[in-house]
Amino acid sequence: MTSPRSAPDRLDEGGDQGPHAAPATVTADRLSVAFGGHPALSEVCFALTGGTFTGVLGPNGAGKTTLLRALLGLVAATGETTLRGRAAYVPQLAMVSEAFPIDALGVVIMGRYPRLGWRRRPGRGDRRLAADLLEQVGLADRARSPFGALSGGQRQRVLMARALAQEGDVLLLDEPLTGIDAPSQSTMLDVIGAQRAQGKTVVMTTHDLGQAARECDRLLLLNRTVIGDGTAAEVLTPEVLGRAYEAQVVMLDGGAALIDEGVHHHPSRRGAG
Amino acid sequence: MLAPFDVSYMQSALLAGLLISVPCGLLGVWVVLRGLAFFSHAVGVATFPGVVLGLGFPAVGPFAGSLIAAGAFGVAVSSVETDHRVRGGAVTGLALAAAMAIGAVLLTTVAKVSAPVESVLFGSLLGISGLDIARCAVAAVLAIGALALLWPRLAASAFDRAWAAPAGACPARTDALLLILLGFTVVTALPAVGSLLVSGLLVIPAATARLLCDRIGAMTACAVALCTAEVVIGLVLARELNVAPGASIATVGGLGFALAAAVAAVRSACSRRAAGA
Repeated sequence: MTSPRSAPDRLDEGGDQGPHAAPATVTADRLSVAFGGHPALSEVCFALTGGTFTGVLGPNGAGKTTLLRALLGLVAATGETTLRGRAAYVPQLAMVSEAFPIDALGVVIMGRYPRLGWRRRPGRGDRRLAADLLEQVGLADRARSPFGALSGGQRQRVLMARALAQEGDVLLLDEPLTGIDAPSQSTMLDVIGAQRAQGKTVVMTTHDLGQAARECDRLLLLNRTVIGDGTAAEVLTPEVLGRAYEAQVVMLDGGAALIDEGVHHHPSRRGAG
Repeated sequence: MLAPFDVSYMQSALLAGLLISVPCGLLGVWVVLRGLAFFSHAVGVATFPGVVLGLGFPAVGPFAGSLIAAGAFGVAVSSVETDHRVRGGAVTGLALAAAMAIGAVLLTTVAKVSAPVESVLFGSLLGISGLDIARCAVAAVLAIGALALLWPRLAASAFDRAWAAPAGACPARTDALLLILLGFTVVTALPAVGSLLVSGLLVIPAATARLLCDRIGAMTACAVALCTAEVVIGLVLARELNVAPGASIATVGGLGFALAAAVAAVRSACSRRAAGA
């Protein structure tokens, strides 16, 4: 059932940093996933290189989250995926417990465990790194605040800092900008930009076409399969969008807007997207 | 203060109570954080057919019988729960009813014993045996060892399961180990506090600690401390007022929780007023 791939976060342990000839770091080849006989993804193909920021777009239920989870090897899939180097993952904020007794710094330190192997305990260096990362996301003063006491935007930034603590080569972010305040969004985008500049491969799912068009190098428009793949100019055309969203599409200011026809593109709280 | 512990059965009860407080406090934290309170209560009650068999067949004995019943209960609940249409309390409830029914049938057909119902339900801490005390010590050592090893995985799995799996925390395997440990601890605590009151040591101190603490380490320390305090005060009251220790221990725990809830309410009212001013 599962495709021939090894655990993504175990590959290239301490391997070479940085892309030399920009080889593909994340690929999918005829990737298909079905849940209970219903196809969630079918025949998805793409190849991403290091130092890029890709936005995965598509309506609710298009398989955006499933694509990230398939790349991480978490769902049974056919076809092939590769993920070079270590992966760091930021799941949807709604999936994270608000009631768990942990402070912001504790969450970021948690991000060190995949490197430490879950048996070794974080040392002083790990703590210092975690504190630095909290500062990077603008939350140095909230290090000892309970996670549940933070605002949505702050929580999302903490989860981002935890992903950075994993020191992954590939960052998979599930709706990291959805439903958070504008300052938090811009901090997140700064951090993502810095990771891209370091040669990391960043993949983000989003519902915001305009923002994705502005911020991403590349857009992957998904509706169970790849409908569009390329730059914003190539993907955000009425024809391509119409095929993905099955709704009437109008272009505004060179950007795209949707006229809803039963298809809502509100951020979903469910992880099925 | 020490006067109530001047007789040997009180000393045995104190020793057993303090020893079982360690795994109950440690695991209780995860019972509360993972919403396993009903499961842990049910696994204790569901040992009933095992106790009956153990009494009916002395070669097995009630402890081994209870362990077998708890294991069967855990496996049954976990495997039925994989069907997402019936989750959580529903499966636990039906397995609990099934276990009690099997126990009732065994009681009159196979085992033909009159189970000492009161001590099964409420425990008999004052009649605790040396073997029971040794088992409490084993449960304490197992819980300390397992949690020292597993707590980062448990924390990741409880806080953010979607992240824990790709990060290598093995949430499913970690959960299974937690349930096994929980089953063993509950069965070990049964002779002391009985199946109906085991939540008094497992759930109440940890829930109280959650009200008082915002970090997992502090909560764990607080839960174990509250658990031991509950046992000591409960035993003193049991001796002074001549009531069953299982009941007085659980009552002390309940009063402690009410006090903590009141403190937490006052604290949040104060911080709201401070924020408003």
